[in-house]
This record gives sequence, C-alpha cells and structure tokens, in this order.
Amino acid sequence: MQRWQFLVLKPEDDVATALGDVPAGEAAIRIGEQVERLVLPAPIPLGHKIARHAIARGAVIRKYGAPIGEATADIAAGAHVHVHNLRSRRARRT
Amino acid sequence: MTPTLGGVHIFYNKGLWRIGVAAEFAGFPRPDGSAGARNTVLVLSILGLTGASARRIARQVPGTTLMSLAVGRGQFGEDRALLRRMLVGLGRNANAAAVLLVGADRLRLDAIAEGIADTGKPVETVALDDCHEDNLALSERGVRIAAKLVRDASRIRRQVLPASMLRVGIECGHTDATSGIAANPLAGRVADRLVDAGGAVVFGETMEWLGAEEVLAARAATPEVGRLIVAAVLQREAWAAASGEDLTGNNPGQENIRGGISSIEEKSLGAIAKGGSRPVRGVVSHAAPLPGPGLWVMQGPSFSPPSITGFVAAGSQMTMFTTGAGNSYCDALAPTVKVSANPATVRRLATQIDFDGSGVLEGTRDPEEAADALFAQLLDHASGSATWGEVLDEGEYAFARLGADF
Repeated sequence: MQRWQFLVLKPEDDVATALGDVPAGEAAIRIGEQVERLVLPAPIPLGHKIARHAIARGAVIRKYGAPIGEATADIAAGAHVHVHNLRSRRARRT
Repeated sequence: MTPTLGGVHIFYNKGLWRIGVAAEFAGFPRPDGSAGARNTVLVLSILGLTGASARRIARQVPGTTLMSLAVGRGQFGEDRALLRRMLVGLGRNANAAAVLLVGADRLRLDAIAEGIADTGKPVETVALDDCHEDNLALSERGVRIAAKLVRDASRIRRQVLPASMLRVGIECGHTDATSGIAANPLAGRVADRLVDAGGAVVFGETMEWLGAEEVLAARAATPEVGRLIVAAVLQREAWAAASGEDLTGNNPGQENIRGGISSIEEKSLGAIAKGGSRPVRGVVSHAAPLPGPGLWVMQGPSFSPPSITGFVAAGSQMTMFTTGAGNSYCDALAPTVKVSANPATVRRLATQIDFDGSGVLEGTRDPEEAADALFAQLLDHASGSATWGEVLDEGEYAFARLGADF
C-alpha cells in the first residue's frame, strides 16, 4: 500500500493527480519529498485531479508548473477539478 | 557513428569517454546506407482508381504490404505537394526492400518512381494505361512483378547495426492522466537514449503543443526553432478558434476527459514529455524527411493514424506509442510498440500493450531502469521480434490532407 494517493508534479501547482482510484476521506498528497494531507468529500478516479487549496472562480489553475485553464466556479480544497469547474483558456473565439 | 568493438560501445558523454554495451539492432541493410527493421515489398497504389487492383496484388503475394491513396486527381497546391511527399516518403522508407507502384497513367507513376529510385532499391510500376484499362490484366501483371520482388528481397539478411541508424516516431493516443505523468516521460527517456546513441526521434501533433509551446520552445536548439514552434502552435490555435468549435470534447476527446484530462493545455503539457529532454533541432513539415539525427518535431494532425503515417513517410522504421486507456492502432510499415502506465489498461489489454510501465506510475519501479528495459525492447522489436499489433495484423495507414479537391 502506497503512503500517498496523489502526486503534485511541481510545487507551484494548484492541483494534485490521483495515482489510483481513491475513496472519500483522508488522503495523502506527495510533493517532492513532502506529504500533505487533505480530506476528500467524494471518491476520485485514477488520473483525476483535486484542488490542493481553495481556488476562486476566474483564477488560473496550474499543473506541470504551467496554466491548464481557469476556474469557472469557486473550488474547495480537496474537491474534484475537471471540466465542470475548469475550462481551457486557449483556442477560444473572443 | 560511434566506434563499436565487438559489441562494446565507446562514447563521449558529459565530458568523459565512456564504455558501455553497444546500442545495436539487427537490421536489413539498404543500398543507400539506411537499414530496415522489416523487409517487406510495398505495394503502393497512387490513386483511388487502382486501389482494388493493388489489393488483389497484395492478397495474392505474401510478403507484401498494401497502401493505397484514396484520391489522386483534382488536387492542387500544398495539398498535392503533401500527397506526393507522402507517396515518395513511404516508398523510400527503409522497411520497404522494394516498391511496386500501381497507378493509371505512366507519367504520374514515373514521377513518383523517380522520387524513390535514388535509394537504390528496386522500384517497379504497373499502369492501367499499359493494360488498355483492364483492371484484371493490371493486377495479374502486378502479381508477377511483386512475386519476383518478394523473392529477391528474401535474399537480404539482417546484420548487427548501430542504433544510430534508427529513426523512431513517437505518438500518444487515448491518453489519460497516467500518460503525462508516467508513460510519456518514460517514452521521453527512451528518446533521449536513442538521440544519445546517434539516432533520430520525431513527434508531432501540433495541436498537442498548445499550452505547452513555451516549454517546448525553451528546449529548441536555436531561438529560430523556438519561434517556429510557437508560430506553428498559434496558427493551429487560430484555425481552431475560427472554426467556432469548442476544443474541449474534441481535443481533449471524450476518452481523454474520462481519463481525467480537463483541457488541451493539460493534455499538451503531458504530451510533450514523450519527446524527452534533448534539444529540438527543428520543425519539419508533415511527412517531410528528417534532415539528420537528433530530436525533431513535425507539424501535423493530432489524430494518430495520419500523424504516424507522416512519421513513416519521414523515414521512421519504428513507432513508439503511449496510451492511457488503450489504443489498438498500429502502423502498417513501421512496427508499433505500445506502452501504457495505467495498471488497469495493462491488465485488461494483455494482447495490445507491449510494455508495462505501470510500476513507474505506482512508484515501485525506477524510471531509469524501466527506460533501459523499454529501449532494449524497442531494439529487440526493431531486430524482428513481433509487436502485438503485428501478430494481430493491426497495421494501418492514413493520408493527411491540406485541402479540398477540384
């Protein structure tokens, strides 16, 4: 059994990625050599993301140390981050 | 080429001469100094009219590989130039020991044949013009010629050759979030090993640099190459925006979204890891020959079939293909090595995934050790071991287009 269920790729990232299917409840997140803990309100499937901290609507969301989109709603720490609350900032007709 | 003495490889790395086990494969030597990982006779129909005749030829002569272009009249400009580059490039690929071109008129057949002939490999043509438009006469003539080409090709023997003679196209398909975290970085480590051995690596899918173009441009060998990367991305982005389509749901596609990828930026940042960490030497046009060793990026579509066909027309003898959810697509001419780091995919698709990278995702396997193993397996497949896709005859191809027809 792994000691952590989520991985943060770069320290400045706002999200952590599930390394397996993770049940609701307390989860451990690895960032480099450190481990953070968070409580998940809902189960998260392999490869999906959670917010490491509260993210305000309109804020840029980072993964791999780079922007992957912006929040379309306020997102609580530990909540699932996906197409329902994150949208691409690229290739959009203005 | 670096010196090799009885399987021991002497190379220069990070300021020191080092000795290691040579990166080698057993390939089929070609007259132009290239080497094939396979030794097929390519039956290539250059327009839709002769596709059925070409198919009859390929079916009747084991040892051939069929490719046929569905169009062939009414093209113009960049699109016509691209299709010609594809036909010539596929014919030149070192995995083809010989080529039989099938077409309607002698003039166009000879023009394609001329583009392939300087490789020194046998290039034959059969034309409807020469058969009074009789399609059965065309295929009968083709069968006799293909049979002779296959028999002659069977005399060529594999030789141990340096890995510097390999060109490998790297693709990802049905990506999920495990691809960007584990499978693509693993493919990237193998790309680094091949580039360090003097070989060439290419990856494409311009749309999947979108959002990662600054990261990729920072790896360019020169500032000019960096500018070309960014320009290529901005051009694609403008196309996409002008279409009025929402990229989300298209790229990333539904299977990407199920796998946890939320935006094109996220997909791209994971996708570019598959090229490894060596400098990007240049941006090549779709299906254009790779100008030399090292890492190249190719402008082209993101869908795997035309993307990979572009790499193969550029000279790739092997394809490395990472997947998250699983993807059965394989190239007809360049054997396709499937890599996944998703543990459920590896378990479920035992006759599709050639290399299990799940230990890297789970943290139970050292990424460098896994990359050594995958590189060794890639060289083994290049030396003749069948990939799952070859065993199951999954080989396909697709011609990209740049325009509409007259």
